[in-house]
Amino acid sequence: MASAAPLPADANRSNLRVGALAFLGALAMLGLGYASVPLYRLFCQVTGFGGTTMIASESKAAAAAAAATGQKISIRFDATTAMGMPWTFHPSQATDTVTIGERDIATYVARNNSEHTITGVATFNVTPEQAGKYFNKVQCFCFTEQTLAPGQEVTMPVLYFVDPAMLNDPNMKGVEQITLSYTFHRSETPADAAPKSTN
Amino acid sequence: MATTAEGFDAHHDHAHGHDHADHKPGFFARWFMSTNHKDIGTMYLIFAIIAGIVGGAISGIMRVELQEPGIQYLQWWAQFMGGGNDLNTALHMWNVFITAHGLIMVFFMVMPAMIGGFGNWFVPLMIGAPDMAFPRMNNVSFWLTVAGFFSLLFSLFVPGGTGPGAGTGWTVYAPLSTTGSVGPAVDFAIFSLHLAGAGSILGATNFITTIFNMRAPGMTLHKMPLFVWSVLVTAFLLLLALPVLAAAITMLLTDRNFGTTFFNPAGGGDPVLYQHLFWFFGHPEVYIMILPGFGMISQIIATFSKKPVFGYLGMAYAMVAIGVVGFIVWAHHMYTVGLDVNTKMYFTAATMVIAVPTGVKIFSWIATMWGGSLSFKSPMVWSMGFIFLFTVGGVTGVVLANGGIDDNLHDTYYVVAHFHYVLSMGAVFSMFAGFYYWFPKMSGRMHSELLSHIHFWTFFVGVNVIFFPQHFLGMQGMPRRYPDYAEAYHFWHQISSYGYYIMAGSMLFFFVNILYSLLAGKKAEANPWGEGATTLEWTLPSPPPYHQFETLPVITDAHDYHDHRPATA
Amino acid sequence: MGQRDTRMKNAILAVVAAGLAALTPLSVAAQDAAAPAAPVAAEAPAATTAAPADPVAPAAPEASAYTPMKPTPGKGMPTSYEDDPVKSLHFQDQYSANGEYALWMHDVILLPVITAISLLVLALLLYVVVRFNRKANPVASKTTHNTMIEVVWTILPVIILVVIAVPSITLLARQYETPPANAVTIKATGYQWYWGYTYPDHGEIEVISNMLDEAAAAKSGEPHQLAVDNRMVVPAGVPLRIQTTASDVIHAFAVPSLWFKMDAVPGRLNEKLLTIKEPGVYYGQCSELCGARHGYMPIVVEALPPAEFAAWVKAQGGTMPGEAEAAPAAAPAAEPAANTAG
Repeated sequence: MASAAPLPADANRSNLRVGALAFLGALAMLGLGYASVPLYRLFCQVTGFGGTTMIASESKAAAAAAAATGQKISIRFDATTAMGMPWTFHPSQATDTVTIGERDIATYVARNNSEHTITGVATFNVTPEQAGKYFNKVQCFCFTEQTLAPGQEVTMPVLYFVDPAMLNDPNMKGVEQITLSYTFHRSETPADAAPKSTN
Repeated sequence: MATTAEGFDAHHDHAHGHDHADHKPGFFARWFMSTNHKDIGTMYLIFAIIAGIVGGAISGIMRVELQEPGIQYLQWWAQFMGGGNDLNTALHMWNVFITAHGLIMVFFMVMPAMIGGFGNWFVPLMIGAPDMAFPRMNNVSFWLTVAGFFSLLFSLFVPGGTGPGAGTGWTVYAPLSTTGSVGPAVDFAIFSLHLAGAGSILGATNFITTIFNMRAPGMTLHKMPLFVWSVLVTAFLLLLALPVLAAAITMLLTDRNFGTTFFNPAGGGDPVLYQHLFWFFGHPEVYIMILPGFGMISQIIATFSKKPVFGYLGMAYAMVAIGVVGFIVWAHHMYTVGLDVNTKMYFTAATMVIAVPTGVKIFSWIATMWGGSLSFKSPMVWSMGFIFLFTVGGVTGVVLANGGIDDNLHDTYYVVAHFHYVLSMGAVFSMFAGFYYWFPKMSGRMHSELLSHIHFWTFFVGVNVIFFPQHFLGMQGMPRRYPDYAEAYHFWHQISSYGYYIMAGSMLFFFVNILYSLLAGKKAEANPWGEGATTLEWTLPSPPPYHQFETLPVITDAHDYHDHRPATA
Repeated sequence: MGQRDTRMKNAILAVVAAGLAALTPLSVAAQDAAAPAAPVAAEAPAATTAAPADPVAPAAPEASAYTPMKPTPGKGMPTSYEDDPVKSLHFQDQYSANGEYALWMHDVILLPVITAISLLVLALLLYVVVRFNRKANPVASKTTHNTMIEVVWTILPVIILVVIAVPSITLLARQYETPPANAVTIKATGYQWYWGYTYPDHGEIEVISNMLDEAAAAKSGEPHQLAVDNRMVVPAGVPLRIQTTASDVIHAFAVPSLWFKMDAVPGRLNEKLLTIKEPGVYYGQCSELCGARHGYMPIVVEALPPAEFAAWVKAQGGTMPGEAEAAPAAAPAAEPAANTAG
């Protein structure tokens, strides 16, 4: 091809080196782009960013209970069903007042209104967002997929506690109520994918 | 400068007529297999003009529709594009238009013109290099961009939801772009970004290598013209930002087609993560679109002030600072998505920091003119227009940077006005400035100063009439991406549409000017701008020979921007 | 911090009060107009737009106790150039404390600063055009450095930005105050392409809100593109906990006259405190591109005096918190039927 006068060989090699380095930089950023998916999840799970709740072990729950001071906080329970999810889904009670640090249980009721067996999966977060770090779940129906037969209704428990450490966090000052929100989605397994609809 | 030019010419005697420096390959080989940076630059510029006509025509469709409340012409367009006759298809067409306008203007007009066009043409010339470091890869970059454009155009004619075309907005937010848009249009639009993005990444690699490795002897980094600096910083932004977009939109594609759930909450994904990834690319992208403009403005202001750039090092490192800070402010595009208070405060503060290096640049340009001997040739008036309008767009950016204020203005016409002031007036004014500055060099013909001045003034009036009232609409609450609006917004929308007609009419002067100068323009000298034009491209004839600098020029202290005036000017 | 905060707030409030003095005649007038509207409500005809929730409550008391409030021209809605050229250039009047503070910040700090900077740059440009053009100054100087001035134009913007940052951070802190436990909770759910409002503490009322077509909007005397069939009715003067989510794609719940905008993201809940200062009808529009009818899913917030809000809740077949929470289970059954709209 018609190109400029050939460069000296060492200049060409040097060009290739710089070019390759730059290209490697781009590749690294590409990798970072993909890595951001697990990293973001991890970041949220560790810091409670975006109102992500914590998963607590029994021992952590026991430690929190021991640190309980008897102060109360109000918890609100929220339920949503996503598009294409023919379930009714609601908390058994809208709000509850719990002792900070002590373990409590809440229940949600889900009913499959369709004529098919449907598997659902729940996403969740808490508001205000800074409460995510202090909202611990010991057990939750959201940890696994839920399958309901046509017309089947289930009551699903959440075992949770609010970490007393929140009392020392200036960001949590004035927070009187934490909302725990779940959204049930139809599970995206290929055999059971929601019918695509433009509506 | 003059000393170097003479020294260089001595090595390269043009009196011998058609030496092999001007040997050109045949038509097909020259334009389709081109490895010549000037030819590729020319193709990029022509491509950008064509894409600009398409993108500008689409904005015309939008302004005509918005001139009156109600839906006037969208149904017609829906049928024209092969869609149904119902309202949903018509409204979908609107979203297709805003999407296409945004993508075309960003990826196929501004970027190809700034980086592909002016960058390719003048970076090698300004650093005294014979060509780009990887001439064949340069060709690949260009054709990838063209292929991307065709992929985007193709997407307009295939189903994409309630009608043909991708109606996701240029941001392609999930889940509207995944579960919310059925049909292959969005896939083609995404693929078009892949192609354009790949082209730009290759281009960025090429520029970085060229600038680091192929500077002429004596051309140290701190002697490089500011335009080269701006392309260098831009290339780094491209290299670091575009792969993140590539990753994000690839995940969109697999979410759409292969059942992955990166951004689908039903599978544990998070649509907000897409926004983080998009804007991690998207914010540097806005600097990618404006930094080369900064560089051009610096060259032009210095040339027509007959004065070296004021505060050269500050100017160069201000661009580096803008580039670096540009990577850590992305979430200011996401203030309403549900960020916690500390995150929002951080992004508010970080965003405002960008105003500092930007201010340094604005004031340095003015200081360059201060004490100069100004001649108001067409590139200069466009540059001065740039400085003022970019300032206006910049200060509304400071308003929007405040997370608490943005709670009202987010996604309103205020934002539309803001980014068109910095792009449609900032970037576009700098491109016209650059075009008139270098057109004689590129074509060997002088354009008409009269037509370019008329072009400037009519364009200046037009774009201001379009976009200034959009601030009012935004403050009154008019949301963006709406084809229809309440009667109360009618007046300012109407004014804005009138502005479009002025602007469109003004472009006639541009096209007539190009035609006139190519057909009948006066032959351009090597340096038509006089002693203020000190960079290396002005030492070459206009147009430059097909191959230049076969013997590398030697840059002496005369090029030192710290005090770069030759002792004997 | 706390003390300084309070002092700053007081100082700022004083300025806000002064700054808004000019605007108050309007809002007072609006209040006067709105207040008597409610008692007369019963006599207004038909317009029983509370349809979706009605089937829930066969035993609902007086179903006609609520009539949608007439909007006050220029309040809670955009103003046209023809009606008031000056108001059409500016923000809508604000009806929340945070909105007033934000508006004050814009008008007293941001707008003067950005105008001054733009004019300064323009003036400098004009000056160099006149003073340093080729004829006026044939020989260019060779100055390329002046450390002093470079330091000044770096430091000065920093100072200006700090001046802006102080109220900006204060505004953010206020916007992020969390709602008290007894705040009235309303959950706004975005659908393609309408809004659903649920009141979890009021017997699971669900209001489905669709845009009125042009004829219907004209009939109800409301601006087309903004008017809806069923409004989000809330009490005025008390804290509201607004929660947003979406069923399908991202929407955004936005009301310009309340300085309120929050995305509705599928799979997650967002929450923000809102206190509306006075009764009125406040219009807003979806503010995140959500598909074809993105421009056709407006938001109307109708703020009523608390007693009338309680009456509205009753009329919807709901219960006020604290009242005997009887039959709460009946409500959800009606949802699927209501959801078919759009």
